[in-house]
Amino acid sequence: MENDPPIVQFCPKGNVLVVAEQSLGQIQPVTLELLGAGRILADKMGKDLHCVIMGYDLGDLPNQLIHYGADVVYVADDEALQYYRTLPYRRVLVDLLDSLQEPPHTMLLGSSTTGRDLAPRIAAHFETGLTADCTELDIGPYEHKSKVDPTKLGLYPNCLYAIRPSFGESLKARILGPWKNPQMATTRPGVMIPLKIDTSRQGQIHNIPVKLNSEDLRLIVAETVKEVSSGLKLTEAEVIVSGGYGLGSKEGFELLEQLANCFNSNAIGASRKVVDLGWIPYQHQVGQTGKTVRPKLYIACGISGAIQHRVGMSKSNIIIAINKDMDAPIFKFAHQGIIGDIYQIVPELITQFKALQNKSALGGKSVVGSR
Amino acid sequence: MVKSLNIFVLVKQVPDQGSKAGLNPDGTIDRAKAKRMLNPFDRYALQAALHTKKQYGGKVTAISMGPPPAIEVLLETIEHGADRGFLLSDRRLAASDTLATAYALYKTVLYAGQFDLIFCGLQTTDGDTAQVGPQLAERLQLPQVTYCEDFSLENDKILAKRIIEGGYQKVVSSLPGLITVANSYHPLEYKSFKGAWRVQQLQRNPENLQKIIQTIDLDIIGADPDRCGLKGSPTIVAATEKVGDLGGNCHMHEGKSPYDLVQEVLACTNLQELVSN
Ligand SMILES: Cc1cc2nc3c(=O)[nH]c(=O)nc-3n(C[C@H](O)[C@H](O)[C@H](O)COP(=O)(O)OP(=O)(O)OC[C@H]3O[C@@H](n4cnc5c(N)ncnc54)[C@H](O)[C@@H]3O)c2cc1C
Ligand SMILES: Nc1ncnc2c1ncn2[C@@H]1O[C@H](COP(=O)(O)O)[C@@H](O)[C@H]1O
Repeated sequence: MENDPPIVQFCPKGNVLVVAEQSLGQIQPVTLELLGAGRILADKMGKDLHCVIMGYDLGDLPNQLIHYGADVVYVADDEALQYYRTLPYRRVLVDLLDSLQEPPHTMLLGSSTTGRDLAPRIAAHFETGLTADCTELDIGPYEHKSKVDPTKLGLYPNCLYAIRPSFGESLKARILGPWKNPQMATTRPGVMIPLKIDTSRQGQIHNIPVKLNSEDLRLIVAETVKEVSSGLKLTEAEVIVSGGYGLGSKEGFELLEQLANCFNSNAIGASRKVVDLGWIPYQHQVGQTGKTVRPKLYIACGISGAIQHRVGMSKSNIIIAINKDMDAPIFKFAHQGIIGDIYQIVPELITQFKALQNKSALGGKSVVGSR
Repeated sequence: MVKSLNIFVLVKQVPDQGSKAGLNPDGTIDRAKAKRMLNPFDRYALQAALHTKKQYGGKVTAISMGPPPAIEVLLETIEHGADRGFLLSDRRLAASDTLATAYALYKTVLYAGQFDLIFCGLQTTDGDTAQVGPQLAERLQLPQVTYCEDFSLENDKILAKRIIEGGYQKVVSSLPGLITVANSYHPLEYKSFKGAWRVQQLQRNPENLQKIIQTIDLDIIGADPDRCGLKGSPTIVAATEKVGDLGGNCHMHEGKSPYDLVQEVLACTNLQELVSN
């Protein structure tokens, strides 16, 4: 008979720390989501939720973090932190963690271009585990039975479960590393649920020093182009007709316009690739670095369905995809897939939607699909 | 640029997920059976390295860590015009997470010698973390440009454009540095005739091959085995679970006339209320 495994109180202390992201005076949505998720984890362990924000002229932002769930906010406010840069932000975080009596138990960042740039540097510096792009987080026990490394054996009551899709989203993996704190994860934007804002919430704000050396300043930001677009319509439209590289040329968007005009409330969307090519302005871009949309109908024409595009539109009610490649990833999450050429299918869609229009103009409850 | 640049590029061999071969019933990959290929994201990194060599002069060194067959991807880089390669292959590396991988690659980079620029892919299709590049930069204490879409070199500086949410950033960094190349960078050009010929010659002559592509292990590079593999990895995969198709369960329509295809789609979805009148 084997003995019961010892209960190892490895790294039992430490709070949950969220690294906030702000841009142009606004806290990014993923930070509010992380505070929501972090709050649940902290409460489960009976710990506090801490948050650190870096930037310049941060004004009221630290208070907002409290209103969204943080108990303690560390603030690094310095001109050198105006724009995100790896090394200065890295320095502030390393110094903060070094100054704490206990390392945080769990440390969370968004899996944005910023979080995915910064988190691995921190994890490597502290030689701790980091799980990328999580879609679920939890705290729970874990018993390590593998004898490959005897120093790891034992039962760990509180570990971070970092759950993420893997192998092209066909699997979900639960990754954990209770042997060292902080246990780190980045989470996919748009997945965790923020708390409702509560302006009566109280918390502490601590200013922390910013001490950079010349090594930290080896990279400078010459220009930041953020397209604060007016493209409200894109997020409000009931129907979005979106075009990708499969259109072949910018003229293809004229055809998509015609299709979009079959609907009352419509807008044109696009993949990043065609925006980069200058076929259509940035305001139309849907995806991780563009807009997140949730229309009733999303028609994707010649879009392969890369993850960065998908995260911006996968919550649409109905997704119709037109692509000539039956293996295109978009068919893994669209609802209706048409394998075919845009230039044959879209004109036919226009014709048949026009026919529907006429029917509804006659007041008839249409019988779609009979001829 | 006066001196000749030492350009490193990190490439990984990954299972080809397009082919159904080599998938275990539980959805995990049977690496022995799966078809193998060069990580698609690393093609952009290789293009960036070759472009740098062409534009500014220098030598391209490709580095990979993986089991012996991974030499295939190093040969592929030579077909495209890389000059030499290092393959770090050692059983003790099995089950390395990103931290352990970055440590082993760090020791490999030091072993491979002087460098000015290191290019990595944005991420791998099997690990899919985008962590190894920045973790390597941390070990080497380098400035980094991640999500780089375009760059040039001027007066010993890197001028780069990187993707950010809602736009882009233009940054200027000192050399040496590490760049992870976005998939919106220029696609990899065709193999060169010269490169393909060179690989053919190398494959006929194992001795020369070992000179151009050195296969090395932890002892040769002086890496601490305790910091590699399962032992050196602070994380483990505790469980995996198959998820059904992404909710969509796509209704596929194919092979008919455009008229019929559209009829079918309209029959499955009620779009009446959305059309304008
Ligand atoms: C950090 C980062 C952020 C990113 N952010 C975004 C983002 O916000 N939004 C975004 O969209 N992308 C984003 N990307 C880029 C993303 O990874 C893809 O490169 C991009 O979405 C691909 O665009 P596409 O589908 O138009 O082109 P492709 O991938 O080239 O796909 C074109 C498709 O058209 C099909 N096709 C070709 N001809 C026809 C035809 N005649 N009829 C029908 N089908 C045809 C092809 O089969 C193919 O599937 C980002 C990338 C990175 C690294
Ligand atoms: N085993 C490996 N050998 C060589 N390069 C690697 C390896 N693993 C990761 N990389 C590099 O790091 C990048 C990011 O990988 P990942 O963190 O696994 O998504 C890849 O695109 C490669 O350039």
